Amino acid sequence: MEQTATRSWHDPGLLVKALPSVLLQTTCFIAPLLMTFILTFQRTRDFQLRWTWDLATWTDVFSKPHYWTILGHTLVMAAACVAICMVLAFPIAYGLATRFKRFENEIKILITFAFITDATLKTFGWVLFLDKKGAANFLLSGLGLPPESVAFLFTDWATLLGMVYNLLPFAIFTLYLSIDTIDRSLILAAYDAGASKWRAHWEVTLPLCKPGIWAGSVLIFLLGVGVFLEPKVLGGGVSPMSAELIRQTFETRVNWPLGAALTLVLMVVSVFVVLLFSRILNMKRAGFGT
Amino acid sequence: MTARGQDRLIDISLYSVMAVMLLFFYIPIFTLMAFSLQEGRYLTLPFEGISLKWYGELFNSGPALSALRNSTLIAFFATIVSTVIGTMAAIAVVRYRFRGKSAFQALAGAPLAFPQLLLGIVLLLWFSVLGRWLGFNTGVVTAIIGHIVYITPFVMVIVAVQVYSFDPQLEDAARDCGANTWEVYRYVTIPLLWPGIFSAAIFAFLLSWGNFYITYSLAGSTRTIPTFIFSGIAVGSSPLYPAMATVVFVPGLLLVTAAAALRRRSSRTA
Repeated sequence: MEQTATRSWHDPGLLVKALPSVLLQTTCFIAPLLMTFILTFQRTRDFQLRWTWDLATWTDVFSKPHYWTILGHTLVMAAACVAICMVLAFPIAYGLATRFKRFENEIKILITFAFITDATLKTFGWVLFLDKKGAANFLLSGLGLPPESVAFLFTDWATLLGMVYNLLPFAIFTLYLSIDTIDRSLILAAYDAGASKWRAHWEVTLPLCKPGIWAGSVLIFLLGVGVFLEPKVLGGGVSPMSAELIRQTFETRVNWPLGAALTLVLMVVSVFVVLLFSRILNMKRAGFGT
Repeated sequence: MTARGQDRLIDISLYSVMAVMLLFFYIPIFTLMAFSLQEGRYLTLPFEGISLKWYGELFNSGPALSALRNSTLIAFFATIVSTVIGTMAAIAVVRYRFRGKSAFQALAGAPLAFPQLLLGIVLLLWFSVLGRWLGFNTGVVTAIIGHIVYITPFVMVIVAVQVYSFDPQLEDAARDCGANTWEVYRYVTIPLLWPGIFSAAIFAFLLSWGNFYITYSLAGSTRTIPTFIFSGIAVGSSPLYPAMATVVFVPGLLLVTAAAALRRRSSRTA
């Protein structure tokens, strides 16, 4: 594409196009975030917000290990979800980008449709499938297996299954995009140099889609720490995750400052984990050299 | 093993993984469709009988129909506004170089990587505080605004892909032929970007139509299809909910197929 000249913000054409997004995201994203931060310094009494400007909420957050146990559990679940999604998504994304030419469009439509269908419905579908008297047990007992052999609904495993199910398409899309942009001649060059298929895959393809793996992992991790539907519907609410705790703080306890503080803690800790990991990965690369 | 045999083996294993994965994706969807045909009152197997009775119930149920109406209304307005704003942002990002461009990109795309439930809660706090000052309650309008915030970045990304593959010289040519700014947009830019805009709009509609988290936080007492179904799961449900789910699948599948067909046609003519 031809390079266009640098324009300043005074260019009316640019202003008209960029301003709506800027206004939308500052008034309805940045400003609400600031508001949330301000709210953590207030209190609620008799279900009413009081503008007190003190640190009571924050001392509460930092003195109760309960909140932090739930947060730890949430981070572990999100990390497990990232690992499973990446392992499952890679062969699919790879196949879509390089080998499924004949059915490529059909497969893409099927995945997109499954992805875009409302998560509440699909999660509900899983409950019906996994239930004691659900479809899975019905089909399996038809095959002669003992009754109720599928019995992990309302456990963490069911929650994890739901999370992987709902977030897997994000992994497939990001990996697909990064594999699709790899220059095919690099792999052919590896073959010419005598590399086997496996070796070319390991030393050329995989390193080249590192950015995609990283972007997908970050996206899934950040979305995974915020899930609420899966632990509630599939996990039966037995081991709540942070989002569920936050929801309860707002709805049942009507404690807005505490809910706001827990929201911010969840966000800050997740971003911190992501930064920590990117730091470790960078250090590794610097240490061993490639 | 020969290279060809190795190739075959890789193909077969990748296709099998794909098949298993597609089955995995469709298990809950097929389960819901199957359960919508249950004649009895409870969602247990074996069925008491097969019938379309619950579809009839669905179209006579006031709350279900009003949920359907609310979902459509919210998705309609959210789609129009987010498609317009997102398309303009995409053109700005791809076609202009300006100071603070990466900041603009980060700001315009930020909600993409923000958990929806938290976005919903943060907006709920914002609208509650504003509402107390200005005297309004959360409802359909706040839900629409929430959807726009969440969906506009998606539109921006999808349309940006189309703008990249678009030759800006075509616009210059039209300008040289005496077209004014508006005419260039009307007769050159918009028609050429149309496949991208169209599929972004469909994506936006479906994202809004099926949205649970943001609606749940922001719609006040208004029920849409996802929140209606969520409340149904909690109460102990009848086959009414699977029937409703099945009805919701149909327009989604049609729209996704239409968008894919349009995209393929445009890439063939281009």
